[in-house]
Amino acid sequence: MRNRPSTASLDLAELLRVEPLARAEAVHLADPSRRVHQVVLAETFERLGHIVPHSVVVLHAEAAAGGWSLAAALHAAWERNASVVVVPRAAMSSSSAVLAERLGIALLVIDDDPVDVALTLAGQISAPQCARAVRVALCAERLAEQSSIRGVLGVLNTELGHVPVALTIGGSVVAGRAAAVRERADHEQVRVQVHGAGERPWAELVASVPTPAADLGGHVGTLLRLARLPLLAAWAQARMDTSTQVAQERAAFEMLRRLGSEPATDRAVPVQYDGAESTSWSSELGWRVEGVNRAVWIAPIQDPGSEPPPELTQLLRATWQRHLPDWPIVADDDGWISWQNSADADSGTAMRRGITTMTPTARTHALVLGVGGAHAGIPGLMRSVVEARLAAYVAREGGAGSVTWFDQVGAQAALAWLPVGKIAQVADFCLADLMAARDRSSLVETVLTVLDCGGSLSQASARLGVHRNTVLSRVARAKELGLVFDDPSRRLALHVVCYALGALWRTPGAERSQ
Amino acid sequence: MSIGYVGSGKSITAADIPALYEGAKFYSPAVGDASKASLVSWLMDLLERNGPVVLVRPDALPPQVHCVSLCVIGSGAALADLPPSGDEFVLAVRELEHVMHRRFGAVYPLAAATISALVPLAAASQLDVPLLDADGMGRTFALIHHTSMSLAGLSPAPLVVRGPTGETVTIEVRASARADTLLRSNVDTLGGWAALASYPCTAGDLRRAALPSTVSRLINVGRLLLEPVGADVLVTRLAAVTGCQRIGRGRIVELEHLSRPSDVTIPAHPSSVVIDEIGGQGRLFRLELRSEIVAVFADGALAAAAPDLVCLVDILRGELATLDSLEPGDVVDVLVMPADAIWYSAEGLAMVGPTSHGIPLDHPRRR
Repeated sequence: MRNRPSTASLDLAELLRVEPLARAEAVHLADPSRRVHQVVLAETFERLGHIVPHSVVVLHAEAAAGGWSLAAALHAAWERNASVVVVPRAAMSSSSAVLAERLGIALLVIDDDPVDVALTLAGQISAPQCARAVRVALCAERLAEQSSIRGVLGVLNTELGHVPVALTIGGSVVAGRAAAVRERADHEQVRVQVHGAGERPWAELVASVPTPAADLGGHVGTLLRLARLPLLAAWAQARMDTSTQVAQERAAFEMLRRLGSEPATDRAVPVQYDGAESTSWSSELGWRVEGVNRAVWIAPIQDPGSEPPPELTQLLRATWQRHLPDWPIVADDDGWISWQNSADADSGTAMRRGITTMTPTARTHALVLGVGGAHAGIPGLMRSVVEARLAAYVAREGGAGSVTWFDQVGAQAALAWLPVGKIAQVADFCLADLMAARDRSSLVETVLTVLDCGGSLSQASARLGVHRNTVLSRVARAKELGLVFDDPSRRLALHVVCYALGALWRTPGAERSQ
Repeated sequence: MSIGYVGSGKSITAADIPALYEGAKFYSPAVGDASKASLVSWLMDLLERNGPVVLVRPDALPPQVHCVSLCVIGSGAALADLPPSGDEFVLAVRELEHVMHRRFGAVYPLAAATISALVPLAAASQLDVPLLDADGMGRTFALIHHTSMSLAGLSPAPLVVRGPTGETVTIEVRASARADTLLRSNVDTLGGWAALASYPCTAGDLRRAALPSTVSRLINVGRLLLEPVGADVLVTRLAAVTGCQRIGRGRIVELEHLSRPSDVTIPAHPSSVVIDEIGGQGRLFRLELRSEIVAVFADGALAAAAPDLVCLVDILRGELATLDSLEPGDVVDVLVMPADAIWYSAEGLAMVGPTSHGIPLDHPRRR
């Protein structure tokens, strides 16, 4: 960051931001970036003949008598390359506006006393850092009034005029003018990091300063730094209002889902946003979907059969905000969706890091995680979400805190959709004898293993770690209790029932509730 | 009627009256044509009855011949409301002869322009004396001491004003500038306008103090103006005879009234005309008006100013545009005519230059 050159002379745009010229009416503004070196209070035409270049000429008394006098003053100011002519309203006429435009000289109309204005201007011009400080203070006041991220960026862009400002998260623009991040030959970028909770970088403010006005850079930097707190406050406020936030996020994700399933959308091409401003529903939430997305599905270890309780959503959101502040978290159906966005195809390293951060929490709250593949754009995100969900269901087998990556799952994913609980209930009716038996757990486990091993008792005994005869006797007892799997027409059904019961009983405490 | 420049005439006949009228109007383009018909026919009748008036240059008379200037003072509107009975000028001269105990052997116009260029002719015919081919202004200025005689040290006093009501006021004053002030208040009382006989002096004084050939010039210019030709030809011919120059052609886009606080010394309301130049550099002309056009600004730079005579030629009609007939949308040529060289001296400019109209800028001819 450059040091602020506080003694650099003011330009016209800066003077126009502070009193008294803030109240002036700009009849014609030729070049707002014109430097202003001194102020001339011109009372006579003789005085007008001695203007030096880059002056503010304030007309007064005889020189501000109106009619021809303003025309003559404009000409004199133009001849001597003055920056701007300031005239009392009484002396203004429409033809003078035309002449100012024709000569290309800035013309301001004031209602205040020209002598007072000239004196104040003289003070400002002789101490540019004071004028800048006033301007910065005014801007800070306006920034403090803002309650949304868009509002803060709006104030910055209005204040800086021809210097575009944008807020970026991970390199993509989430608010402000996208022109700020574009690399341009005659522009210099000023960047200010915005740190979130725990001094972690959350976002970056970027301004693109035209090189001719490069000594403005310091001033721009000051304003950007001032905007950090209001930005964080706006962001935090939005996050605090969680019930609204949850609803908003759900709605936004539904929008994304709809966008992703648009048949017209080319799946290979990431969705392009309009250059000027990102779409409000995704940018205000801080979501990024351009580039490559990899989704995580978080699910309770047991299929709850309905939406998880809202308390759990709040707990999860709090954890997310603490550990992974730039990852979205959206409640969806029987679980939660989060995703990691990167500009280009990733190797999964970042995801692995994120997962490692999350695993202790998942274990505490009896959750499992499924990770989808990396795909481009919104359609890619949607695909990754489905994959992650399947992987999460498969992960339930591994117990709380387990993580499954979709590319490791394969066809096994098909089993993830089985309504294990309902099938187990069916067993209560069809296999009442077996369910009543005290050793049902070992019987079912043994039959399942035998079926898994294609009927081979020796393989099953090896997997179970018991003697072949034990396997044989358990199978015989199971057959007595109704688990007769010799009949080919019933074998698949019994295999599925055994799988469901096994999956259900494997979770701690599950069998007790049966 | 002969056309073209004929040099200085020897006499003025009834046939010269229309040309004289037009020329007189040209040198003071502010005035309308309200009383044209009655004035021209009265003068023509007079000259037909009394015969041509002899026109002589001051140096053609013996130097000791006493001469007196005549003019109409007051407002044109009052003159139209209360027309002259015709004897005001003769009686003003007679009264001054009575005050000064001398006979005048010649009369001359105080300002060879407007109606003031015509009344000395009538008086000369009625008094049966020659009319001098000379005047004190070469155009019109607002105040009676704005004359070459005044610059040469001659006094306007004693002077006599005679109003249309038959009353006479004689003013004896030492300071020239005071004469005008004393005069104005009396003119209002006399009916708004009056015949003024002033600057009594000898032909010898006028040889050095008056501006020569300014009456015959009116007739020459008037003949050009009476010729129905296009505006371009007219402007070219006028330039040849009068030395005038066209600053530019443009469309009137705005009339501003009372754009400045009124000056107390000049009896007229200021206003402005804004003209957008057609072709050329596309400049924005601003004309400052008092009782005449006193300054022309081109893009804010002073391009011409009093004592230059600025007049506008209406392009569509091919004739002079009087200031009271201007309207937004009119296309006009802005003509600038130099005044007599005497007015560009330091004393002359101080008297009738832009500063006297509240425009404290250097005159473009002296920069």
